[in-house]
Amino acid sequence: MRKPVKSTLQAPLPYVDHFGLSPADLRAVLGLALSSGGEFAEIFMEHRTYDFINMEEDIIKETAEAVSLGLGIRVIRGDRTGFGYTNDLSLDKVRKTALTAAAIARGTAPQAPPPPLRDRTRAASRYLVRRPVHAAPLREKIKLVREAYDAAKAHDPRIVKVKAHHSDSLLHICIANSEGLLVRDTRPMVKLVCVAISEKDGKRESGYWGGGGRVGMEYFRDVLTPRAIGEEAAREALLLLEAADAPAGEMPIVLAPGHSGVLIHEAVGHLLEADFTRKKTSIFWNKMGKRVGSELVTIYDDPTLPSFRGSYNVDDEGTPPRRTLLIEKGVVRGLLQDKLSSRLMGNAPLTGHGRRQDYSHWPVPRMANTYIGPGSDAPEDILRSVDRGFYVASLSGGQVEDSGKFTFSVSLGYLIEGGRLTAPVKQATLIGTNIDILKRIDRVGGDLAFGLQTGTCSKEGQDVPVTDGCPTLRIAKMTVGGRS
Amino acid sequence: MKTRPASRPPALRDLAETLVAYARRCGADEAEVSVIDGYEFNVDVRKGRIETLIEAGSRSAGVRVIKDKKTAYASSSDLDMATLRRLVRNAVRRAELGNPDEFAGLAPLATERVDAAALDLYDPAIPRLDSRTKIALARETERIALRDRRITNSYGATFASNEIRSVLAMTNGFVGEYEQTYCGLGVGLQAGDTDNRVEDSWSSSKRHFKDLETPEAIARKAVERTVRQLKPRKIPTQNVPVIFEPTQTSWLLGFLFGCITGTAVYQKATFLEGKLGQRIGNERVTVVDDALMPGALGSHPFDSDGLPCRRTVVVNKGELRSYLCNYYAARKLGLQSTGSADGGGVGPANFYLEPGPAALAPRDIIAGTKKGLLLIRTLGHGLNSVTGDISRGAFGLWIEDGAIAYPVSEVTISGNLGRILEEIEAVGTDLDFHGPISGPTVKVAEMTVAGS
Repeated sequence: MRKPVKSTLQAPLPYVDHFGLSPADLRAVLGLALSSGGEFAEIFMEHRTYDFINMEEDIIKETAEAVSLGLGIRVIRGDRTGFGYTNDLSLDKVRKTALTAAAIARGTAPQAPPPPLRDRTRAASRYLVRRPVHAAPLREKIKLVREAYDAAKAHDPRIVKVKAHHSDSLLHICIANSEGLLVRDTRPMVKLVCVAISEKDGKRESGYWGGGGRVGMEYFRDVLTPRAIGEEAAREALLLLEAADAPAGEMPIVLAPGHSGVLIHEAVGHLLEADFTRKKTSIFWNKMGKRVGSELVTIYDDPTLPSFRGSYNVDDEGTPPRRTLLIEKGVVRGLLQDKLSSRLMGNAPLTGHGRRQDYSHWPVPRMANTYIGPGSDAPEDILRSVDRGFYVASLSGGQVEDSGKFTFSVSLGYLIEGGRLTAPVKQATLIGTNIDILKRIDRVGGDLAFGLQTGTCSKEGQDVPVTDGCPTLRIAKMTVGGRS
Repeated sequence: MKTRPASRPPALRDLAETLVAYARRCGADEAEVSVIDGYEFNVDVRKGRIETLIEAGSRSAGVRVIKDKKTAYASSSDLDMATLRRLVRNAVRRAELGNPDEFAGLAPLATERVDAAALDLYDPAIPRLDSRTKIALARETERIALRDRRITNSYGATFASNEIRSVLAMTNGFVGEYEQTYCGLGVGLQAGDTDNRVEDSWSSSKRHFKDLETPEAIARKAVERTVRQLKPRKIPTQNVPVIFEPTQTSWLLGFLFGCITGTAVYQKATFLEGKLGQRIGNERVTVVDDALMPGALGSHPFDSDGLPCRRTVVVNKGELRSYLCNYYAARKLGLQSTGSADGGGVGPANFYLEPGPAALAPRDIIAGTKKGLLLIRTLGHGLNSVTGDISRGAFGLWIEDGAIAYPVSEVTISGNLGRILEEIEAVGTDLDFHGPISGPTVKVAEMTVAGS
């Protein structure tokens, strides 16, 4: 990880410039939101600008610019939440929105007016940006897209189609609540991805690669070049042309470092989001302090990793995040908390994991950057330990349900024969139950790495950016959904 | 909580037309502006108590400009005129940085129009619904479900409704406008003890309030769907017939939809590229996309190119008759638009698999299966349109000698859409338009079920 440097992003503009609401206005609106007996009220304001470039068919086909402006107001009383949002920020409309949200409380007791707001915006930023992407000329961003596109196209004559997309956004948020908190954050986000389609003897495959995060233009020179993105997409598409169908049935699995963090995201992360424990729907709800996995398994979620896609200075409720230990040597140690679950679980410690897609959604506990800590095995020893098995090289996603059943989809794998990687194999879904699979993790490498900085997690209709990481892992046995 | 007055903010149409004219003044050769005004109500009830209640209205605008055959888009939820004008100006300027695309351009003004009123997309009863009624429906649905002793936990019940007004204005003179409503009621449940949970849900979604399934019907289906999965077994890996329930046929058809869009075809991102006019399935496969079914969830009068929507036979008795195209994809492929433009891409209207004359009752399909898997839920994505390959986590009921024997979980199903279309052995009679993409029960001759 690089050393933190002071961000060169412009300091957030005063909220009045974006939202036209003064701290006094906000306090008055919070008072109104509590007027029906609410115990907690919050205003979340958002102003987001977004740029998009699409290249396909050898041309820069289209560009797009988007603006999102709005605010959401939430009122909590006990376990009830009232929520309203508007993109009309006139004081009159904002007051009406507050009253809509307030109605949930349906109490009569007038509350004391909320305390004056105190600005607790952090001075230092975790978004290490030298040259902000949102401010770079569009021509420069188009050049990045072209480089990725051309690299994929030129890689091999069997690459018949390429698509490359760039998107970047700058999000200003301001959160005010009835506890007197006022906090702002300005979050950059960049993503450059390439899809390559290969063809041979009438057979087609596709490859995908990409990168980004809360980074500046320098990322595409110093960390991951557009050329590398295009070439990797092409390479995967070509490899898959030679790939056989995946095997079917239970077998030992070795996961490549990086990408395979999706496994931890699905198998563990979601089910330790506090709302599922509070509602007792998660298989983990009664497992705090209990062993659920092998001694080798230690899992964290850390929203503070500099410039990661899943990182933030404050969460979407204004809580400073911290690295959160979820599983320690196989034992459940922590939950990802938001304010509502914390209140309803006897003021459990906040971890800074209350996130929302945008102002039109209320916050729920979410992952940020989830990873399994490194072990001590050498990756090559792990591979050598498997006589016949399946090696997961890259993953395209996964899903879990509260029972602990989870899947993840492999886009490229290899057969392991005699401790070595042999034939490439294509798409297969792996399935298991988390409390079985975590116990079967029996080798963990020292080579912790993170997956592509392009991931998005969906929960209850809300998408948020995330990153996952893991070292090389062996699972003694898991079901592979190939063909027989 | 009182009833919301059914009045609507005026001037959406003015706003769209003003921006189109402004784009032209800024130098755009062609421009198109869409404006959407939406109102949302959502209540979640869990264990008898209101968990969340949302009420909100929002508006947004989208712009497409074309200058010298170069395209740029913009969109905003900030409808301040100064912001919108700036976005239009920027778009015209930004278009210059793109490359000319000989196929870029707005569709010509259509001579015919679909009468939006005849499509019956708007239910005036929905804005008149009292909040209390909506909350009571959710509460009642969950209450009935929780009366069943086998249900051990609840994800809660939800009532949601939307009212949306859409306006589209274009430099070719097209101006269109329509209103639509949606409402939905559903509940999610768990059964079993902590380490052996099963879950499922049921919901009903309609344009008209009177068409919603009753709380009793929704609760009964959700309970039945959940408890039938209790005490599952894992089975050995084998190749067997797989019967898709209608909820599962929906995703299979959703995958087919993604493979027959004109966009996927010109991008060579589908295994069905180059197959127009050819057999892609057996005679049991007839697939239609119909935007003109009155009151149906996917019906609409015009698409985002301003072209009238219509009924398109996509696959007729196994022969691929038409790709679904917006104006752009159609021009690239030398075809006609099917009125399927949806934003910048292609979207379904009511996309469904026809039961056909040989359709069987679902119970007869099961009765005619010696050994196989009745697929009831899937987990994970595992769909590749480039190859047609499918591999997903699966939950099902094992069929032996024509009867349901026991539930199965922690298995995967895998196969290829191309082969599935050729190997459909039976199609059910139970087509119910529960969503924009829907189909009846379908039996596929063979897929790999991977287990232990």
